[in-house]
Amino acid sequence: MLASLDLSVVAASLPYLFGEGMVFTLTLTALAASGGLVLGTGLALVRLSGVPGLTHAAKLYVELMRALPLVLVIFWFYFLMPYLGAWATGAASPIQVGPFASALITFTLFEAAYFAEIMRAGIQSVPKGQSAAARALGMSYAQTMRLVVLPQAFRNMLPLLLTQTIVLFQDTSLVYVLSLTDFLGAASKVAQRDGRLVEMYLFAALVYFAVCFAASLLVRRLQARIAVVR
Amino acid sequence: MIVVEAVSKWYGDLAVLSGCTTAVARGEVVVVCGPSGSGKSTLLKCVNALEPFQQGQITVDGTRVKDRATNLPRLRARVGMVFQHFELFPHLSVTDNLTLAQRKVLGRSGEEARRRGLDLLARVGLSAHAEKFPGQLSGGQQQRVAIARALAMDPVVMLFDEPTSALDPEMVGEVLDVMVELARDGMTMMVVTHEMGFARKVADRVVFMDGGEIVEDAAKDAFFSRPRSERAQQFLSKILAH
Repeated sequence: MLASLDLSVVAASLPYLFGEGMVFTLTLTALAASGGLVLGTGLALVRLSGVPGLTHAAKLYVELMRALPLVLVIFWFYFLMPYLGAWATGAASPIQVGPFASALITFTLFEAAYFAEIMRAGIQSVPKGQSAAARALGMSYAQTMRLVVLPQAFRNMLPLLLTQTIVLFQDTSLVYVLSLTDFLGAASKVAQRDGRLVEMYLFAALVYFAVCFAASLLVRRLQARIAVVR
Repeated sequence: MIVVEAVSKWYGDLAVLSGCTTAVARGEVVVVCGPSGSGKSTLLKCVNALEPFQQGQITVDGTRVKDRATNLPRLRARVGMVFQHFELFPHLSVTDNLTLAQRKVLGRSGEEARRRGLDLLARVGLSAHAEKFPGQLSGGQQQRVAIARALAMDPVVMLFDEPTSALDPEMVGEVLDVMVELARDGMTMMVVTHEMGFARKVADRVVFMDGGEIVEDAAKDAFFSRPRSERAQQFLSKILAH
């Protein structure tokens, strides 16, 4: 069976697979991870703020997002967003949100829920005395968080944040439901066009494995280096 | 400098501080001692509002601590505090630990903050360690850096919360030496400690607390030679017996 594999199909499609597919995948991963981290950190701070209404709202958001399948959120957001936008701005017709913007916002909102939990654990891992010391030096709440607590929380949680980003990298393949072409989508298109499903999917699996495995190794090395700090 | 008037604090039914009244005059060194759980650390943390209290008032250099109009960060910037567990920022070098609050809170330039920080680092005898990280220093060294960090803010008063309790015995001396020198230079200090040797050497007054109350507030010599209360006598006989 292996003798019938035609790897020239893979070779011929490399520029398309990486130049378009992989670039899309990496762009979406990077943007959604950064946005998710910022938003997630905000959610974690709100959840730990102890302000009754806000704390519960943040908790509800996180629990809700984590309870829903990602595909459902992608669909839901894509079809509902134009109407929500129209309602919010008072426009007569649904606001047009392109599939990429829709996917990016969805992934950011979804990842924020996971990053929020990681950052919450990270903030709680910083001893209380650290924020007491910062406040005793006259720092405001914002300065205490920005200069003392969050840098330590981020460091402590870096391995988990990267692991979550690896999961995100794989999950971005779900954008096929919005007819966007990521790396897997590109491979899939070539596979259908040339009737070379086995070769293309085999190759795609190999690439995902290589990227994720390399990233995991990096995480493990980081873990070993960061563990020295305290 | 510090006036504590009838301060009470409680968690539900549990009274942590009951009607504490005392004062620390400018240039005075007051040692606060007492058995664990007597509320002495809590009282100290009330002075710079790290702990809230329900009743009474504390005034630091003319500023009321329990007052909505008081800018607490500004007040705290003028009150130096040294913690039992040092609480240096582990992600920053010693120099950055010394300069961070000077720059961000006092608005000093990087150059000015650095000069002030390194001056004080020299004063606590650790100039050689400016570029190290806290994790690379011994406990005694970390606590001396923490004292320098607090002094870098040019505080009007220094609070010490059991500064030697978390140290290995052989490192207690180096930290106490710094504190003795500070006291002799005229710094106003409020020190929670079990180090009675330190109290005998530099304290002007000793405040003895038990069960959240100030049981005795006396001049040093009077406290050590003839403590009035039975509880202070018991406490002294226990810790001075060794």
